[in-house]
Amino acid sequence: MRAYATLIGQFIRASVQQELAYRANFLISLMHSLLNAATGVLGVAVLFGQVETVRGWDLGATLAVLGVYLTVGALRDLVISPSLDALAGMDGEVWTGRLDFTLLRPVDIQFLASVRHWRPFALVDLVIGIGVLVAAAARLDAAPGPGDLGAFLVAFGAGLLALYAVLLAFIGLTFWSPGFLFSWVFSGLFQMARYPVGLYPGWMRLALTWVVPVGIITTVPAQALAGDVGPGLLAGSVIAAVGLFAGATALFRAGLRRYASASS
Amino acid sequence: MNHRGGWALIRRTWASWMQYRGFFFLLAFGWMIPPLVYLFVWSTAAGGATVGGFSRGEFVAYYLVLILVNQLTYAQTNWIVGDVIRGGGMSQWLLYPLAPAYHVLSSELAGKVVYMIFVVPVTAVLAITLKPELHASLADVLAFVPALIFAWMLRFLWGYWLALLAFWSTRADALLAVQDALVFLLAGQVAPVALLPGVLGSAAEMLPFRYMVGFPVEVLTGQVSGTELATGFALQVGWLAVALGLTWILWRRGVRHYAAVGG
Repeated sequence: MRAYATLIGQFIRASVQQELAYRANFLISLMHSLLNAATGVLGVAVLFGQVETVRGWDLGATLAVLGVYLTVGALRDLVISPSLDALAGMDGEVWTGRLDFTLLRPVDIQFLASVRHWRPFALVDLVIGIGVLVAAAARLDAAPGPGDLGAFLVAFGAGLLALYAVLLAFIGLTFWSPGFLFSWVFSGLFQMARYPVGLYPGWMRLALTWVVPVGIITTVPAQALAGDVGPGLLAGSVIAAVGLFAGATALFRAGLRRYASASS
Repeated sequence: MNHRGGWALIRRTWASWMQYRGFFFLLAFGWMIPPLVYLFVWSTAAGGATVGGFSRGEFVAYYLVLILVNQLTYAQTNWIVGDVIRGGGMSQWLLYPLAPAYHVLSSELAGKVVYMIFVVPVTAVLAITLKPELHASLADVLAFVPALIFAWMLRFLWGYWLALLAFWSTRADALLAVQDALVFLLAGQVAPVALLPGVLGSAAEMLPFRYMVGFPVEVLTGQVSGTELATGFALQVGWLAVALGLTWILWRRGVRHYAAVGG
């Protein structure tokens, strides 16, 4: 266990050293982050400038969903995506065969594939995301109590695990079709997580909660913050997240067994 | 001007793009999602009543047309221009016996065809399932065609002059990202421009971004007529002239300033 913690520390150090060489990029990524958050918040504000509530969602609760979306997205950009995406696509390790060198390392491959690369600039997104979340919490009808915060943290953890599981599963599929960018499909669908699943039509709501678990990732945590989640839904999303994680791990390992290297 | 060579280049680029259509379908899919999100959100908000004068079906019609217009006017080629200038590929472009604009135009046209092959059927399926309410008169359709062409030219040239700043600064494409964000907010994606509140709304009407996407959509869905239509076209053509002027100046000065890297 200690060795794994040390490894993570080393990976972070190496990534920070690499990124510090591109200082001008910091300002540019700061600008991107601010633009992204500003367009998101303004979008919600324009909607609730026209209507008071939509299907029970008001400004505060919808803003909370956006806050969770930005925060989860920041954590994804911080480590999950940079690490996993190194495997996918036409210049990814599976396609080029560079995965050989990764496989040779004496550590668990799923661990290595998941935490190898870090993008420290994503910390800016994290700060912005948490800022939106706090601003939203202040606008909720009832200020969240300690019980709500606890439920929120559980739901948020489950959402993050579900997001990681889905991304890992897509990377697992890379072993069957190395050139196809499965994670792009998900990135497209994930943008729907900006708004509560309740705002989508009926047939999509079910799909977005349980098939592409966008609902578990952003809507349920935001509902928990507002105190609108019963123990049933909370337990359901934890079970779904753990199930997804187990399934994704199995898929990834099955894919890994198919890997037969590549060469020019 | 060597137009036959230009046409050959366009055909060649189109053929090479079709080889990678799976990749481009994936890109088009990603670009469709943000307007789709707002289609669902606004049509749910309208429910059985109206919001800001739009009924559920009118929101659906507005956003379905917007998905098509957005894809038709999106000038993704401009992202390449910066890379070509930075990477030294511009030297090759300048050596062709063709106006360098043909290189950009050819991938523009190739892109439009490839993306449309994906976007049109998907939009058609959405139109059948979501039941839009589109009451376009013949006059609306006739006004839509020039509005769409000007919108494409404006969005293309506006991005092109921004991309040409790469002659002076290596990170000029950051400005393209700003443009994308402004288009997202002010061109009628987050909400039809008529629904934007106060300052945001009046800024959207004056700035060029509405005339790149939202304006033709509003024309086809019958939201603008009479003097509004005339003012809209005047502003669109005015901004187009500004973009043309800036492109002309920046191109002439930029090429003189250009020095290739490599060896």
